[in-house]
Amino acid sequence: MHKFRSLLPAVLFTMAYALVSLSVTNSYYQLVLTLVPVWAVFGLSWNLLSGYTGLISFGHAAFFGIGAYTTALGQIYFDLSPWLLIPVAAMLGGIAGLLIGFPTFRLQGHYFALAMLAYPLAILYVFEWLGFQEVTLPMKRDAPIAYMQFGDPRIYTLLALTIMLATIVLTRIIEQSRFGMALLAIKQNEAAAEAAGINTLAWKLRAITLSGAIAAAIGAFYAQVLLVVTPQSVFGMLVSAQALTVAMFGGVGTVWGPVIGSVILIPLAETLHAEAGARFPGIQGVIFGFAIICVILVAPEGLFWKLRDLLRKRFARATTTEVTAAPHTEQPGTAIVTPLPVARKRATSEVVLEVRNLSRSFGGLKAVQNVSFKLHKNEILGIIGPNGAGKTTLFNLLNGFLRPDQGEVLIDGRNMSGERPHTICEAGIGRTFQVMRPFLRMSILDNVVVGAYVRAKTEDEARKLAADAVARVGLSDVADRVAGELSTKELRLMELARALAGQPRILLLDETLAGLGHGEADEVVAVIQQLARDGITIAIIEHTMQAMVRLVDSFVVLDHGAVITEGEPEVVTRDNRVIEAYLGKKWVAHAPH
Amino acid sequence: MTGDISTKVTRRTLLAGASSALIASRAWAQQPSEVKVGLLVPISGMYARPGTVMRHGAEMAIDHINAQGGIKALGGAKMKLVVLDSGDSTEKAKNAAQRMVAQEADLVAASGAYLSSFTLAVTEVTERANLPILTLSYSDLITDRGFKYVFQTSATAGSQARQALPQIVKLAESASGKRPKTVAILTDNTAASVASAKSMREGLLAENQLQLIVDETFTPPLADATSLVQKIRSAKPDLLFFLPTVISDAKLLLEKMNEFGLGQGKIPTISFGIAIAEPDMLQTVSPELLQGVLTCVASWGAKGHEVLITELKARYKEPWMTQNAISTYGDMWVIKEALEKAGKADRVAVAEALRSMDAGPSKYYPLGEIKFDEKGRRVGAGMTIVQWQSGVPVTVFPPQLALAQPFWPKS
Repeated sequence: MHKFRSLLPAVLFTMAYALVSLSVTNSYYQLVLTLVPVWAVFGLSWNLLSGYTGLISFGHAAFFGIGAYTTALGQIYFDLSPWLLIPVAAMLGGIAGLLIGFPTFRLQGHYFALAMLAYPLAILYVFEWLGFQEVTLPMKRDAPIAYMQFGDPRIYTLLALTIMLATIVLTRIIEQSRFGMALLAIKQNEAAAEAAGINTLAWKLRAITLSGAIAAAIGAFYAQVLLVVTPQSVFGMLVSAQALTVAMFGGVGTVWGPVIGSVILIPLAETLHAEAGARFPGIQGVIFGFAIICVILVAPEGLFWKLRDLLRKRFARATTTEVTAAPHTEQPGTAIVTPLPVARKRATSEVVLEVRNLSRSFGGLKAVQNVSFKLHKNEILGIIGPNGAGKTTLFNLLNGFLRPDQGEVLIDGRNMSGERPHTICEAGIGRTFQVMRPFLRMSILDNVVVGAYVRAKTEDEARKLAADAVARVGLSDVADRVAGELSTKELRLMELARALAGQPRILLLDETLAGLGHGEADEVVAVIQQLARDGITIAIIEHTMQAMVRLVDSFVVLDHGAVITEGEPEVVTRDNRVIEAYLGKKWVAHAPH
Repeated sequence: MTGDISTKVTRRTLLAGASSALIASRAWAQQPSEVKVGLLVPISGMYARPGTVMRHGAEMAIDHINAQGGIKALGGAKMKLVVLDSGDSTEKAKNAAQRMVAQEADLVAASGAYLSSFTLAVTEVTERANLPILTLSYSDLITDRGFKYVFQTSATAGSQARQALPQIVKLAESASGKRPKTVAILTDNTAASVASAKSMREGLLAENQLQLIVDETFTPPLADATSLVQKIRSAKPDLLFFLPTVISDAKLLLEKMNEFGLGQGKIPTISFGIAIAEPDMLQTVSPELLQGVLTCVASWGAKGHEVLITELKARYKEPWMTQNAISTYGDMWVIKEALEKAGKADRVAVAEALRSMDAGPSKYYPLGEIKFDEKGRRVGAGMTIVQWQSGVPVTVFPPQLALAQPFWPKS
């Protein structure tokens, strides 16, 4: 039901657009009306990959062109109908997506963007070499409808609108499913997503396959509208740029962005070309470029987000006055969880995680050398050491971000070293990060849901697990607020909840107490203690010892990548080697014995 | 939309009996006073310059026609030019064509659209709107689609190469005293160049007993011509066919040839198309480097056009008359001729007049007649060979149109 309601604006918009286009009899205006949804769909296909995963593609023309040439060549050489060729084009586009994605997803950031740029340009030369410089679709005077050559140009607009609505619906469905959540998680922090149990490569491949299929389908339709296909007009740089322009202008990462961008920019460019260009040839490009620059400066994330933020602000101002009028009775946050000095289940002798002789070097630097320790069920293990001791590297080895050079990581007795992070997450290890990467525009609950997919089979189950996890860290009262409004402490707790949502048996916490004030640290410590009481085994990294002494059952102390000592807090803190590692040799003499 | 509103208004006003006579008489009086002709060419973007020159040609023709009393069959109606910008992409050209047929409903004919791929897209629109269009584009495909409303005034790319080769061989033989045997082809991979090179490779060279010893295709723009020129130097062909579309490529290669001691006619260089004879060439390449370079084009300012050439120079400060100016000038006269024949300002009637036209020998296009075959190609369409002589490309072939004697570079 909720899903249908969220589609209502799209359906209404499409219907209104269809009504307007039906009333337009001028064939030129009708052509512009056809091109708007065409470029909107192309923008949407780009958005599906780049908008949600944040991996910018400069080469979507590759798919667009493959689609266009499929309809053109299919009609010329095999006399097939475009009704059949457009789905075929979509299929080929999907395959191209898979073929391009598989090698290219090894790259990240700018390298990915640049590699993508190369594909359409390379294919462009292939098509020129094949002798397809100019291809025209044969005119079918006797069977115009079977070959999609309508006398009434309004039918093209209606068809384009149908494709657009279908793409919007598909995008909405993806947005609201774990697919969309996975893509968003990749955008924020691919490593964190992988650690939360998301098989990032698989989701990215799915995204580029779908995106390629949509781009190819609309490219195929575009060829049908233009009737002439040249490598430049479908594989050219400007084609790829068109997708970026409409999406970035309208808003990235939302279904409305490319639609808004296209509805404004395509008619604007055409009107400028027709009106201003007739008087001062070339001026249209200047005005168009200037308009885009202005909008990007004012609304860097696109018009949609700017407008939404403005509306939110106005709405929020209207409501806050009401709220402040009422007496503030309840403190939101972690008030429910109070530190309990009650003794919890002591650590048992059952070993859940065992590390044997783990080593990893980066060139000449031995970041972790020969580390061994055991994590017992229900234990809280503190891993401490000065900055650069190799603590985070150790965690990265444990959860699969790094492959160990040698040694083993045994989870419940099974060697898991060298497995991908999402696999290790499935095996029951959750982790948080030193640097927080929340999804700022999403609510706390939505942030946490990402972590639940590794366990949940259905959307509802994931929501339930997420709500559960939010309750366990005491954020239920603020679960609907967007993450951008939270304090550092609340963000730390939210991160913790995200790791908890996957129902791990072992939690790896990376400097969860960093950057917190004294009182705040106590609250977080209380939450962690509660988790341990509930039966979760915890390993926590910290380089300050104060809060840790009260929290942990035992310590492992690292320095220069190696374990220098381990044992109960009282013993470890008095150990000369520990004092030396932290403070230097001369302080050892001053240490109380 | 404007068209829609005006018909509604007219209908409503017609019902109001009294004013109907007035409107009708105005509509009747309007028709012969002005006849609109479209010119759809690139006047912005990277093809703006050739498009602007086409516009010059069209404007001159319209002025001359009107000065001579307009369309006599329509009571001396004046011709009026409507210029539309085809921009720099196929999509923009198609949009402009749609705008032309939708918003200039009273056009009787048009001319356009410079680049073959633009013309292909534009004619898809004009064909469906029954608007006759004349084009100077070369591509064979334009008139191979069974269209009824497109008329190609230039010889097609395939036909140009077929006509040019025997003439080049003859020219070389008479000037140097020995028949050329080996050739090199250096071509970029744009549509027109590829079509010309293809027809040479697939039969034309053999027909003229020429042996292809170097065959290189490059993608514009060239970054470095060294390796291409080295291949030519080591093969030493008797003729070099060089087919660039981008001026910078022409410059790069000619300079590199000179550097390697092959320039200024050591190896006779023959081009196809207009790029190498555009006025812009002189801005980057010195006249000495260009001296003797030949190019085969569909049309050029030639004998009999002297007055026009002078006027173009004076009015638009163009140094010489290229194909773009003279062909478009001719297009307007052909449309005028068709209007006289049709006797009414109606696009279908004008198209019919063009199809059945037989207006004798061509004045503004090289050779042949003002008559179109069933495909829409001009009957007997010839071509011109132009040679750079002292910083000006002049027509040297065919003899009846030549403004200067060709010379063969001494090797």
